[in-house]
Amino acid sequence: MTPLTVGIIGFAAMIALVVLGVRVAFAAAAVGVAGLVYMRGWSAGVGISGLIPHAESTHYTLSVLPMFILIGYLAFHAGITRGLFDAARKIFSRVPGGLAVATVFAAAGFAAVSGASTATAAVFARIAIPEMLRSGYDKRLASAVVAAGGTLAALIPPSALMVIYAIIVEASVGRLLIAGFIPGIISALMYAAAVIIRVKINPALAPPIGERYSLREKLSSVQGFWPIMFVVAIVLGGIYLGWMTPTESGAVAAAVVFLMAIARRQMSRRDFFNALMETGKLTAMIFTVIFCLLIFVRFLGYAGLPAAFAEWIVGLPVPRLVVLLLILSIYLVLGMFMDAIGMLILTLPVVFPAIIALGYDPIWFGIIIVKLCEVCLLTPPVGLNCYVVNGVRPDIPLDQIFRGVWPFVLADMAVIALFIAIPDIVTVLPDAMLGK
Amino acid sequence: MTDDSSAARAQRTAFTAGFARFDAVYGGIEAAFNLIAATAIFLMMMLMVAEVVAHKLLRTSIYGFFDVVELGMAVFAFLGAAYCQRLGGHIRMDLLVTKLQGRAKFVVEAVAVLVALIVVALLIKATWEHAMRAYFGNDTTSDAELQTWPSKILAPIGLGMLWLRLLLQFIGFIRLAADPDAVPIGVPRPVEIQEDAVD
Repeated sequence: MTPLTVGIIGFAAMIALVVLGVRVAFAAAAVGVAGLVYMRGWSAGVGISGLIPHAESTHYTLSVLPMFILIGYLAFHAGITRGLFDAARKIFSRVPGGLAVATVFAAAGFAAVSGASTATAAVFARIAIPEMLRSGYDKRLASAVVAAGGTLAALIPPSALMVIYAIIVEASVGRLLIAGFIPGIISALMYAAAVIIRVKINPALAPPIGERYSLREKLSSVQGFWPIMFVVAIVLGGIYLGWMTPTESGAVAAAVVFLMAIARRQMSRRDFFNALMETGKLTAMIFTVIFCLLIFVRFLGYAGLPAAFAEWIVGLPVPRLVVLLLILSIYLVLGMFMDAIGMLILTLPVVFPAIIALGYDPIWFGIIIVKLCEVCLLTPPVGLNCYVVNGVRPDIPLDQIFRGVWPFVLADMAVIALFIAIPDIVTVLPDAMLGK
Repeated sequence: MTDDSSAARAQRTAFTAGFARFDAVYGGIEAAFNLIAATAIFLMMMLMVAEVVAHKLLRTSIYGFFDVVELGMAVFAFLGAAYCQRLGGHIRMDLLVTKLQGRAKFVVEAVAVLVALIVVALLIKATWEHAMRAYFGNDTTSDAELQTWPSKILAPIGLGMLWLRLLLQFIGFIRLAADPDAVPIGVPRPVEIQEDAVD
C-alpha cells in the first residue's frame, strides 16, 4: 500500500469510529497510533505517540485556553448579565422587537467575557425569555433569539473555539482574537436586523413594551456595560499594545472578573467550587482532544494526505471560489450532526492546507469557520444552543425553537457571504493593529 | 439463564453492590484530581498576574516563569480527564447511539469504550516510557533547568485514571447489554444540558 492509501483508509476509519460513537479524541488517537505503528514500525510508532501528549499539551500558547474558560465560568457570578440586559432593554425600548434586540446586544456584550456559546444561551434563557414572554412576545421568537445570541460568544473574543482553531492550524492566537471583533459586531447587527424585519412584517410577534425612558435614564443605564468594557479593554488592549501575551491578558481579565464577583458578594463558596470544577473538566476535555488529534495529524503528515489533498484541490479546473463554497457547504452539512470542536478536529488537518494552497488567508478562514460553527449550533437535528434553551425552558418545545431560528441562520449566511465578498472586513483590524 | 438459582442471584446482587460502591468511591477520587487540576489553573492565573505586575511595574521577571508555566500545564492537561469521562464530557457524535434501543445500544457503547480502552492503554505505556527517559536521562528545561520528569509522569498518571474509568464504563455497558433493564451503574448518564454553572 502506498502511504497515501494508508492515509485515506485511516481518515475513513476515523470517521467510522466517530459515527460508531467513539469519543472524538479516542477515535483520533486510535487511528493515529495504529497508522504510525503501521508506517513506522512498533517501537518508533509507539515512541512518537508517547512523546506527543506531554510535548504538545505543554506549549505556552495553549495556556490561554483554561484562562478563557475560567473567565466564562466566573462571569456568571460577577453580576454582569443582569445589568447588561437592563441597560440594553432601556436603550432599545422604542425599537420594534425591542426586548429581542436588547437580548442580542446583551448577549454580544456577555460574549466579550465568555468564550462559550452554550453557556451564554443558558444565561439569557433565564434572564431574557421570561421578560419577553411576559411582554407577550411569540415563544418562537423569544427562544430563538436567545439561541442565536448565544452563538456570538464563539466569535467575539475571548473565544475558546478560536484558540482551538489557531492551535490546530498554528495561526497567531492574538491576531485571530482581534480579527473576531468586527465580524462579531456585524453578526450582532444582522441578528438585530433579522428581529426588526420580522417584527415589522408581523407586529403581533412582539407587542411594543410601552415603557418610555428619558435620555438620562438611558445614559445612566449604560453603566451596566462598563464591567464588560473593562474586560474587553484588558483582553484586546493588552494584546494590541503588546503588553501582554494572550494568556497573560486572559489571566488578568479572569482575575478582574473574579474580584468583581467577590465584590458583588454574589458568588457563594459552592458557586466558586462549581466554577472551578467545570473549568477543570472543560479544560481536560479540550486538552485531551488536542493531543489525541495531534497524534492523528502526525500520522496524516507521514501519509502525505493533507499535501495530496491540497494538490488535488488546487488542480481542479474550477475557480477557487467554487472550491471554497463546496468546502463550506460540506461544513454546513457536517455541522448539522457534529459539535463544533469535533468538526474542526475532524476536518481541519486535511482541509486547511488545501485552503492555504488556494491562496486564502488563514485568519480570514478561521473567522469563516467559526462563523459556520455558530450556524451549526443552531441547525437541527443537533443544534446544541437550541437544546440548551429547551433544557432551561422545557415549556418551549424543541421544534418550535428550531423553526424560530431560521431567520437567524439566514442572517448568518448573509454575514458569511459578506465576508467572502469583502475579506478585508475580517483582516483590517488585525492588520491595522498588529501589522501585516 | 437456566440455572438462575437463588445463589447465583445473590452473587449478582453482591457484584452489583460492590461495583456501585467502587464506582462511587473512585468517582470521589476522580473529582479530587479534577479539583487539583482546577486549582492549578487558578494558581496559574495568579502567577500570570504576578508576572505581568513584575514585568510591567517592576521591570523584572519571575525566575523560570515560562518553564514553570509549561511544566505546570501538565497538571490540568491530564488530571481531569477521568472526571470528564465519568460525566460524559469528552465530545462525541451520539447520533447513532441515541437511535439504538436496549441491548444493541449497550453493545455499541461497549465496543466504543473498548476502542478507547485499547488506545489509552497504549498511550499509558508510551507516555510512561517517555517520562522514564526523562527521569533516567536527567532531562531538564533549558531556562531554569527544572527536572521535567515530574511533569511528564502526570501524563501516564492521568491516562491511567482515565483507563480505569473506561474499564468501569466497559463493565457497566456489558452488564447492561446482558440485562438491559438493570439500573445503570458506572456509565455516563444520557447527555444532560449543563445548567449547574448558570447564574
